[in-house]
Amino acid sequence: MSSAGESGKRKLPLAMLKDGEKGIVVSVKSGYGKGWGFKKRLMDMGITPGTEIIVVKSAPFHGPMEILVRGYRLAIGRGMAERVFVEVEET
Amino acid sequence: MGEKRLVIALAGNANVGKSVIFNHLTRLHQHIGNWPGKTVEKAEGTLHFKGYTVDVVDLPGIYSLSTYSIEESISRRFIAVDKPDVVVNVVDASVLERNLFFTLQLMELETPMVIALNQMDVASRKGIQIDVEKLEEILGVPVVPTIAVKGVGIFKLLEKAVEIFEGKLSAKPKPVKYGEEVEQRIERLAEAVGDSGLPYPARYVAIKLLEGDREIQEEVEKTKPQAAALARSLGEELERLHGHSCPTLITSERYQAANNIAREVQRLVPPLKPTLGEKLHSVTTHRVAGYLVMAATLLSMFLFVFTVGNILSELLSSLLYGFKPFFEGFFGTGFIAQLFWGGVVEGLIAGATIALPYVIPFYLALYFLEDSGYLSRIAFLMDSVMHRMGLHGKAFIPLLLGYGCNVPACLGCRIMETQRERLIAAFVTTLVPCAARTVIILGLVGRFIGIQWALVLYVLDLLVIFLLGRLAFKILPGEPTGLIMEMPDYRLPHLRTVLSQTWFRLLEFLKIAFPLIIASTLTVKLLEALGMLSFFTSLLAPVTVGWLGLPVETGVTLLFGVLRKELALIMLTTLLGTADLSQALTPVQMTVFTIVSMFYIPCVATIATLVMEFGWRKALVITVSEVFLALVLGGLALRILVLAGLR
Repeated sequence: MSSAGESGKRKLPLAMLKDGEKGIVVSVKSGYGKGWGFKKRLMDMGITPGTEIIVVKSAPFHGPMEILVRGYRLAIGRGMAERVFVEVEET
Repeated sequence: MGEKRLVIALAGNANVGKSVIFNHLTRLHQHIGNWPGKTVEKAEGTLHFKGYTVDVVDLPGIYSLSTYSIEESISRRFIAVDKPDVVVNVVDASVLERNLFFTLQLMELETPMVIALNQMDVASRKGIQIDVEKLEEILGVPVVPTIAVKGVGIFKLLEKAVEIFEGKLSAKPKPVKYGEEVEQRIERLAEAVGDSGLPYPARYVAIKLLEGDREIQEEVEKTKPQAAALARSLGEELERLHGHSCPTLITSERYQAANNIAREVQRLVPPLKPTLGEKLHSVTTHRVAGYLVMAATLLSMFLFVFTVGNILSELLSSLLYGFKPFFEGFFGTGFIAQLFWGGVVEGLIAGATIALPYVIPFYLALYFLEDSGYLSRIAFLMDSVMHRMGLHGKAFIPLLLGYGCNVPACLGCRIMETQRERLIAAFVTTLVPCAARTVIILGLVGRFIGIQWALVLYVLDLLVIFLLGRLAFKILPGEPTGLIMEMPDYRLPHLRTVLSQTWFRLLEFLKIAFPLIIASTLTVKLLEALGMLSFFTSLLAPVTVGWLGLPVETGVTLLFGVLRKELALIMLTTLLGTADLSQALTPVQMTVFTIVSMFYIPCVATIATLVMEFGWRKALVITVSEVFLALVLGGLALRILVLAGLR
């Protein structure tokens, strides 16, 4: 499937994905200290590196995103989605 | 006394049907309270089974045991320190992988456990088939398939729990295996940790050290500094090997383990057509239709709460006031009897006719919406609005409820994750004009000045809420949490669970609120009877007359308004001797009086709720700061209006 190789992939924040697009989690950005809880929470909900995420839709007015992860539906706030980096196939 | 006792803890993710199982087990023998010193609900119950008295503790619904939230800390402490005899891990069969992530953490605590594989019916509707025996074999823990809403499997679950307790059934969970490199280091670290003096197994402490668990890191730093140092160097090694931080690595690998198990025991047959719940979900989160459905739902909820509330309120008040002649016939109309009637009985009646009638239908509606899964959709839609005051989507729900009655609204703030957000949400909620304050706004400004000015006051209120919400958000320490919320599949709420949730929470409310309501009613009545009320009004005069420019009588009405907000208006008409208040008050005075009434203090019942939820100190801070707020706003309004040439 990924015949395009490395050059065919882009790394970008989850928040940039459009409805229906999918990506593989690469990293979750956070500083040490205050960010720990937030990052841990995301990972506890299953957003760990290597996990596939499908964006279902976004709420209007810059609202949260609805994503499918590990077989369930998760709402994730915009600010948090901006700190989750995913890799998508270039089309 | 030879009584055989057994303590069972229910643990699991949110929305897996834990409370339904709890209700099946304990029925009417429940007690709802708070965990000591925490705003987290503690549900306990008892039942009798095979000669045992079984105590069931329903732990909060959580996704991990990493002490990110208060709920997680409480659950972990309870399992490790209080050591329940058996932990029943309720697992949602339709979201097996994520549920197993939690199960694996329970297993790491090496507690005797049995798994209730719940919502088997939902799973099969979604085309998920699970090999129960294989799951048992892999985990080394008994697994009982259940359909809690139908009561299927509950008996067997209890049987297994007793068998485990009696040692007839082995329930020693097999340790979770991590990847080679991680596993080696966990074992080395566990050895170094040895007997750490902590209530957790050595392997668990080792894993949590690598996972970056603050609580355990601090403890180990004190008791076994060399183990903490080893953990750091091992963690660095792993980070170099894998390129991810060590906590990320451990969590990822545990999820990988959960994923492997799920794949091994699950067979997926994709369903032919989207289920009804799926379609409902699309509509209720749609960018246009979603908001329309939300408006309609909330409106019907309001109508339900107010219609039922009004009927109940009138019924109760005619019933209770009907007792007055009997009471007077029995106790006479002497000083003590009057004081008792006015202070104690009327306090009871006020509580019973104001709080109770609205709290009951409110709880019913709330639990109905919550158990169905709809509340999470509302939070999804309203998140961006609530973010503007530093809260996230879920806070919209209590805020909205505040327009009905602040009491249930403050209780509703429990849906927020952190203590900080609960407090901010509760604080702004107490500023929302409840039905009683609406009576004043509409009955005074709306009626005598004009409805458009009443609306201006509502807008002013929203503005104040927004600004103070932002301010509280800036002042209170702690990081803002964004929305991370599961949107569970829709389901029909289990009626008996909803009813019993309502009933037991109502009892808790009565226990806390009524003593406070009666005490304060009694105080005011006593002051009145002793003729000291006028003393207080003259004490208040510099503020009411001097600063706010109101007639001196308003002091008394504001005092009584603490008991019931709308009393302030009712008493004003009595004291000023006219129902046509435009004869006695200028438009500016009316506006100032209304602004003050809107903000000046939460009513007694709300204060009682704040005390219950946040303790005396925070309740006092909120109360006092709102008194100041009201005075500042009222005084400013007076001066601005006068400057504007009004009078």
